[in-house]
Parts: sequence; structure tokens; C-alpha cells
Amino acid sequence: MKRAMDSGKKALTTLGLIVFTLAVVVPLLWMTLTSLKSGPEIFASPWGLPAKIHWENFSHAWQTAGIAHFFINSLIVTTATLAILIPVGAMAAYIFARYPFPGSKFLFGTFLGGMMFPQFLTIVPLFFLMNSLRIGAFSLYDTKLGLTVVYVAYSLPFTVFVLTGFFQTLPKELDEAAMIDGAGHSKVFWRVMLPLAKPGLIVVGIFNGIGLWNEYSLALVLIPSEENRTLPLGIANLVMVEHYQSDWGALFAGLVIVMLPVLIAYWIFREKIHETMLAGAIKG
Amino acid sequence: MRNRGRTAFIVTYLAPAALLYGVFVIWPVLQAIGFSLFKWSGLSSKKTFVGLDNFKQLFHDSVFWEALLHNAWIFVFGGGAILIVGIAVAHGTQGEGRLTKVLRSVYLFPNIMSLVVVAILWEFVYDPHIGLVTSLTNLFGGSHASAPGAVVQNTSILGNPAKALPAVIITFVWFSVGFYIMLFSAGIRQIPQEVAEASKLDGAEGLFRFRKITLPLLWSVGRISVIYLVINTLNVFALVFLMTQGGPDRKTEVMLTYLYEQAFVNSDYGAATALAMANFVIVMAVSGVVLRLTRKDPSGAVQ
Repeated sequence: MKRAMDSGKKALTTLGLIVFTLAVVVPLLWMTLTSLKSGPEIFASPWGLPAKIHWENFSHAWQTAGIAHFFINSLIVTTATLAILIPVGAMAAYIFARYPFPGSKFLFGTFLGGMMFPQFLTIVPLFFLMNSLRIGAFSLYDTKLGLTVVYVAYSLPFTVFVLTGFFQTLPKELDEAAMIDGAGHSKVFWRVMLPLAKPGLIVVGIFNGIGLWNEYSLALVLIPSEENRTLPLGIANLVMVEHYQSDWGALFAGLVIVMLPVLIAYWIFREKIHETMLAGAIKG
Repeated sequence: MRNRGRTAFIVTYLAPAALLYGVFVIWPVLQAIGFSLFKWSGLSSKKTFVGLDNFKQLFHDSVFWEALLHNAWIFVFGGGAILIVGIAVAHGTQGEGRLTKVLRSVYLFPNIMSLVVVAILWEFVYDPHIGLVTSLTNLFGGSHASAPGAVVQNTSILGNPAKALPAVIITFVWFSVGFYIMLFSAGIRQIPQEVAEASKLDGAEGLFRFRKITLPLLWSVGRISVIYLVINTLNVFALVFLMTQGGPDRKTEVMLTYLYEQAFVNSDYGAATALAMANFVIVMAVSGVVLRLTRKDPSGAVQ
């Protein structure tokens, strides 16, 4: 009797999990399948498999809809941001972890506070700041450089937080030994500590990279021109403004193109990403 | 020896981060306080000091209250659903088996996708012509639509004032829940094995065990989750902005979509910044209340 109840409960749990898993996965599968169908097929059989795989949807999205251009913009901004963010963040984190000075706790707290501020608190002042900061005759507003600099600044709190924790776990004897050997502070950092921190740098890079690739709100306010549009902005604009619904297949292909790099990166590094998210969520 | 150039080293290594953070984050935060005290349409560069007028106006603005109410609905219904589903799924996928690990990773898929993709995908899910929802309802007895003479129902879900907000909330839950499953899974993993086994031996079963053992031990993770829900539901933007633009008839308007409209459509920057400050204060206040209310957990341990 008891056993029957137990197995009944187990079946119910399994059923619940199956339903939930389907709810998560089905929209994603549907999107992917639709990206491979012809226009008429999408309307005639939303649930069916494509009779023939229409890879040309992807080339249409890539070329005709202009996704290629947005893709390259996103690649430039994301890469440039990471290239500045990682060394700048690591340098600050190293100081916070190893070089206590009067007021360093307060400064560290100020950095972490940035994780609490909602982006929209600063959006209006930031909009004017970007308009007023000039390099020569051009303002930083509506430039990839401007967006990059803002992305670095807004990614710093989390990056410094994670990397400070990472540097704290490295044994102190290492840098002390290197110092005794006559290496200066800088040399110890670049030659000894940074290579040791490589796993932490990779995780922070992947984690930030995913967030930056996906970012929408800041780009929406700071990038008005088609020329500099990133991928999320570009695809949103196709749907919302240009109503690119004439070619449904290409539109869904565009969505897949935005999603795929992130999903692949996530799947490769999923264990590390979970750890980082949990560390940030629970200790932060 | 060790102190040689220490100060110079600290200054040069902190400077780039401090400069970027100071100029692009701290300075705008301070400016926001100032902006909210001025009447300013941006273009004219003519700023008039109006004191707290922007805030007074905000409190008399019915759109603001309607938006705040929608944020509250998202918190209550979306947040409630996320907590229930999150705990249930975390409870159901305990253990370090291969399958459960893969499942937990899959549940996080929506959360690591761009909100733009999520919003557009769900716009199409709700689409009356090609969407999954329409074909699902047709599948389950919606066939009367094809009866002779019947008007085929083509009204879209997101265009319907009564259905738009619930539809957005469902999408919000779909997008967010994986993160909370991960949090609760970590919480369950922290429960010492001995406690779980001892309670089993004591004959604590099923729902009773869940309520008396699992739930109290999940208290601290639960608190964190509620704080995250407060922040994330009061700061919803992209999802609503892309799916409904706050419509139809402002029936899905939330604080931040209204802020965007005030700033970048109406060019009323003072009002927009006042709204941003109000949003921040509300988030802080609600978080504070939640932390106070949940300080004592039901098992009697003080956090």
C-alpha cells in the first residue's frame, strides 16, 4: 500500500518535470524549426516538421535583412569591452585583494554598490554625458567606442567582485617569494599572479561576454543610428519598426543567429557559469 | 624592500577602474539627484529649478500609479509562480545524476538568452496566425472556430487589454525561473545529509518533511530569491517595451517603460529622472521591508 503510494508520488513528480521541461524547451525548438521552414509552411503547419530544410532563410537573414552588419558590430563592441574590462578589472581586484590601504574597504564597497544601482537610475544623465563628452569634433554618443566605454564601466562591479575573491584564494607565499627574488610589484602581477588567475579571468570573460552580447537597454538609448546598431538592437528594429514579417523564415533565422553563440558558450562553460552566478547571487 | 613604490603601484593600478567607474557610474548617479529637481526639456539647455515639483507631479500622475500597480502584479503573480515552480522543480531534480544535472542546465537556457530574442519569440508564440497558443487552443476543442458561419477568432493575445499583462507575466516567468531553480537547488544541496536522513528515519514523510525540514532550511535562499524578485519585477523593461510597448491602452505599462517614454519620447527629463529616483527608492524600501519581515525563520533560528 505504502509502496504503491510512493511510486504514485514518484510518477507524479516525473510527470510534472516532463511537463515543465517541455514548457521550457518547446518554444526554443519551435523557433529553431520555424527558422528552417518556408513561409507558407509556417502558416499551414506551425507544429509540423519542415518538408525540406530551408537553409536559405539564414542567408536571407544574414545578407538581405542586414544581420551580418549588426553581428559584426556586436562582435566589435563585445570584444573591445572584454579587452579593456579584463585587465582594468583584474588590476583593481588585485589591489583590493592584496594591497590594503586606508579607505580601501570603503572604495571596494563603492564598487560593489554598483551591482545594486538599476541602470535606469543613471540613464538620463548618462545620455547627456555621452552627448557632451567629445573626442575632437565628435561626441561619444552613437559611437561604438562610447558604448564600449559605458559597457566597461557597468561591468566593472561584478568583475572586480569576482576577481577579488579569486585573487584572495591564491597563496600569499607565491607573490612574497617573487618579491624576495627582486621582482617589482608590477612584475609580480603580470608574470606571476595574472597567469595563475587565468581560470578566473576566463569565467569572468565568458560571463560578461554573454551579458554584453545580449545587452539591449543601454544600447537602445546610446545608439540611435543603423550604422552602429548591435545585434539585439538590429533584430528588435527589424521586427518592431520595419515590420520585417514579409520573410518569416529569415526573421526566425535571425533570432537563432542571436541566440546560438550564447547557447554554445553557455553549454561549454555551464558548470563554471553556475558557480559564478551562485557566488554573485548569494554572497553579493 | 616590500614597500618600495607601494603607493605609486596602488594608485596606478586602481586609477583606470576608478576613473571609468567614477565618470560613467558614480557621477551620473549624483547628477540624477540634481536632474530630478529641475524642469528641463534638454534641447533648450534652459533648466529651471523647481525643487520637489517633479516628485509632486509624479504622485499626482495616474499613469505612474497604474504602472506601479502593474509592476506589483508582476511581482505577486509572476514572483509567486516563480517561487512555487522554482522550489518544486529544485525539489524534484535533487541529486547529482547525469540527467538531473543536464536538466538543471537546460532550465537556465531562457535566462542566458537575450531578452530581445525572448520577447520576439513570445510575440510569435502569442501570434494569432502562426502562434503556438492559438494552435494549442484549437487542438483542445477550439474547433468550433471552423464551424460554418463562425467568425474565426483572430484577435491577438497581446492586443487584448485583459490578456496582455498575464501574457507578459507568463513570458517573464518562462525567462526567469531557471535562475531561481538554480538558487533553490544550491539551497537544497546545502541541507546536511544527516538532517535529511534523520528526518526520514523519524518517519517524517512527503509534504510534512518538505514543510518541516526542507522549507525552513531553504529560508535564507528564499529570502535572497524574494529580494531578487523585488529588484527584477520592479525593474522590468525590455520584455514589456518589446512585446507591448506598454499597450494596449497602457494596460501593460510599467515604471521603466513610462520612464523611457517621459525621457526619450516626451523629452521631459526632469520628470523621467524623478521617476528613476522614485523607482530606486521603492526597490530599496520594499527590499528593506522584505528583509525585516523574513528576519526570523519559522524554525526559530535567527538569521
